[in-house]
Amino acid sequence: MNTQIQPDPSAIGGVPKAPLAFLPSPAKLFATRAERFDFLADHGGNVAPYLRFLGALTGIQARLAGELPAADPLPADRIETARAHRMPPIDRAEMATDAGLYATLDRFLDLAAQIEMPEPARIALQAVKAAPIADRHWLLENVLADRIPDDSAAAHLFVAAAVQLHLSRIAATLPADKLVPIRTGICPSCGGRPATSSVVGIGALDGARYATCSCCTTQWNEVRLTCLCCGSTKGISYRSVETIEATVRAEVCSECDYWVKVLYQNRNHSLEPIADDVASLGLDLMMKDTDKTRGGFNPFLIGY
Amino acid sequence: MNIDLSRRGFLRLAGAGVAATSLGALGFGEAEAAEAAHVRAFKLATTTETRNTCPYCSVACGIIMYSKGDVKAGETAELLHIEGDVDHPTNRGTLCPKGAALKDFVLAPTRLTQPRVRRPGSDRFEEISWEEALDGIARAIKDDRDQNFIATNDAGVTVNRWTTAGFLAASATTNETAWLTYKTVRSMGIVGFDNQARV
Repeated sequence: MNTQIQPDPSAIGGVPKAPLAFLPSPAKLFATRAERFDFLADHGGNVAPYLRFLGALTGIQARLAGELPAADPLPADRIETARAHRMPPIDRAEMATDAGLYATLDRFLDLAAQIEMPEPARIALQAVKAAPIADRHWLLENVLADRIPDDSAAAHLFVAAAVQLHLSRIAATLPADKLVPIRTGICPSCGGRPATSSVVGIGALDGARYATCSCCTTQWNEVRLTCLCCGSTKGISYRSVETIEATVRAEVCSECDYWVKVLYQNRNHSLEPIADDVASLGLDLMMKDTDKTRGGFNPFLIGY
Repeated sequence: MNIDLSRRGFLRLAGAGVAATSLGALGFGEAEAAEAAHVRAFKLATTTETRNTCPYCSVACGIIMYSKGDVKAGETAELLHIEGDVDHPTNRGTLCPKGAALKDFVLAPTRLTQPRVRRPGSDRFEEISWEEALDGIARAIKDDRDQNFIATNDAGVTVNRWTTAGFLAASATTNETAWLTYKTVRSMGIVGFDNQARV
């Protein structure tokens, strides 16, 4: 016999390292989201009409993401500078004057006018369509600063959807390996706030958590059991509607009294960070009666 | 910047005025109200997820323990599930077969919850108080050490060793606990010794 026994460390398998960020593929992402909105609307629930409306809007995002020419990548030196100073490479404040964003907004509003919506929504859409450039600038500035006045949520919703489309197309051009973690609860691509976070179930990453940016739709890794609003790990607990088996929960922080939704995608792969955030409105309604405040930012759920 | 109030006023008007939420402002107030009425029948359930260290071996894998109820809020918590902590650099979410069965370890009906002793000649263990247990251990250690401590070897060199007793300490401890354990045990001269500080 001439069998030689050699050690084979490759059989042991590597230690999985969760990548910092998953950048969006806008056309696919919005199409999946629109499908999920439609699915959730089809399966009843009181919020179905709103889900149907958002499904149609997201469908427009998906369609335009496919039709529009690829966004120009950010200059390499800009990305390097941002990296060196631990800043997000997309400067959202600067975006408020970006010509491409205005063009995208125009096309988005034109298509949005073709979908069915209640009268108040249509009035808001027409107001945005008719708004002069200075007004649009004001709307964009608000959306790009995650600051939506409670009394004009409708007008801002259409603008926010166009901003998501534009910024996700730019985020898609970023080199994911050049991004750096900035701070807990801050998007490494654009500095935006998370809408929700998801415990993913992807292969070796099963159980890792990714927050979803409400602005550019980048998903980035966050340590679990950590408050996405203040970064504390001290007093984290979870609330869910009625059952402890729920796959959408509110992650509550007793240090800062804010909460952000966690979606357990490892237990339900269909959960979508934005669509299921809206569909789980019941949790928001119940949490509103507690002394805690919603910390997840979603332009489709202003006022919670 | 200066905000043009008339402009803001116009866009406010476009949003149906007083509505405070997205749903209300867009004309979905009815759906929102129906959902609010629907959830009124439900209660919020509280669960907790807690980081801890697996107590089995000195690899000290990170674990997440899922419970129903929140101890910090003065409630009782009931352990539901234990899994590997993906964020922990040592195990990245993985657990060995023993670690994967930790829940049964915690909830085992045969789990030791207070000190017990099997006295010389007896065929069974009996439960005793911590006070009695610690006194008994101290007595036994002292007697054994007095009897078997070796101060010098055959050549007359000071060795201060105590080889007739051993010490095995837990793994899920802090650096500080490991350090204290090491100093306490080694300063008595115990040679047969293992704890987390080895790693």
